[in-house]
Amino acid sequence: MDALSGIEGVGGLSAPLTATGSAQPPRTGDAAGFASSITGAIDDLRALQSESSELAVAAVTGELDDIHSAMIASTRAAVTLELVAAVRNKGVDAFNEIMRMQA
Amino acid sequence: MTFDAIGIAGTGLTVHRKWLDAISDNLANVNTAVATGDEAFRARYVAVQNSTESPGVYVAGIRLGDPAGRMVHEPDNPLADADGYVRYPDIDFGDQMSQLILAQRGYQASAAVVDRARSAYEAALQIGRS
Repeated sequence: MDALSGIEGVGGLSAPLTATGSAQPPRTGDAAGFASSITGAIDDLRALQSESSELAVAAVTGELDDIHSAMIASTRAAVTLELVAAVRNKGVDAFNEIMRMQA
Repeated sequence: MTFDAIGIAGTGLTVHRKWLDAISDNLANVNTAVATGDEAFRARYVAVQNSTESPGVYVAGIRLGDPAGRMVHEPDNPLADADGYVRYPDIDFGDQMSQLILAQRGYQASAAVVDRARSAYEAALQIGRS
């Protein structure tokens, strides 16, 4: 029963860890990428929400042919809002985690 | 488009809604008699197609039934001609009722797809949340 042969020591590292001096240069593009993608997502969300509210107004004023188009726009806006909120929360969580890092 | 299943199901809802409208018109006019010199009510049939540009189903147009209709002998009808005939639309009630069931079920199926897709997307948003 090899599977139960106890915990073995970790084998030697095949290569020594590189010194921190060779770390990659800071990439400012990533931060801007996150900011611009979340801004773009919020813009899309705003467009969906305005479409949803226009259709809701059309529904209550009797100018709407398809009831389901209002409900679909509202569903899509709601799901997109949840998605954007989830991404934002993940970003804030990551930021807080980094802020808690102390020597 | 984000959340495409919802939008595709939306095209199905639109098509079935138009089908329901057409059946509603046909059933409303199933007993519409006209004089033999006039055209009978022409039944509406929804022609649908898919699209190569985007997924989903779309209405290609409305086809109209036979204006000749069917001649019915009703001498008491004020619209009857000299021989006692009037013109009724050529609509089969049973056929329209089965189409009504199909249209309703199709609409409900598309609505169920919207609901299920929403639940699925919300489940995806719960991934990794503890």
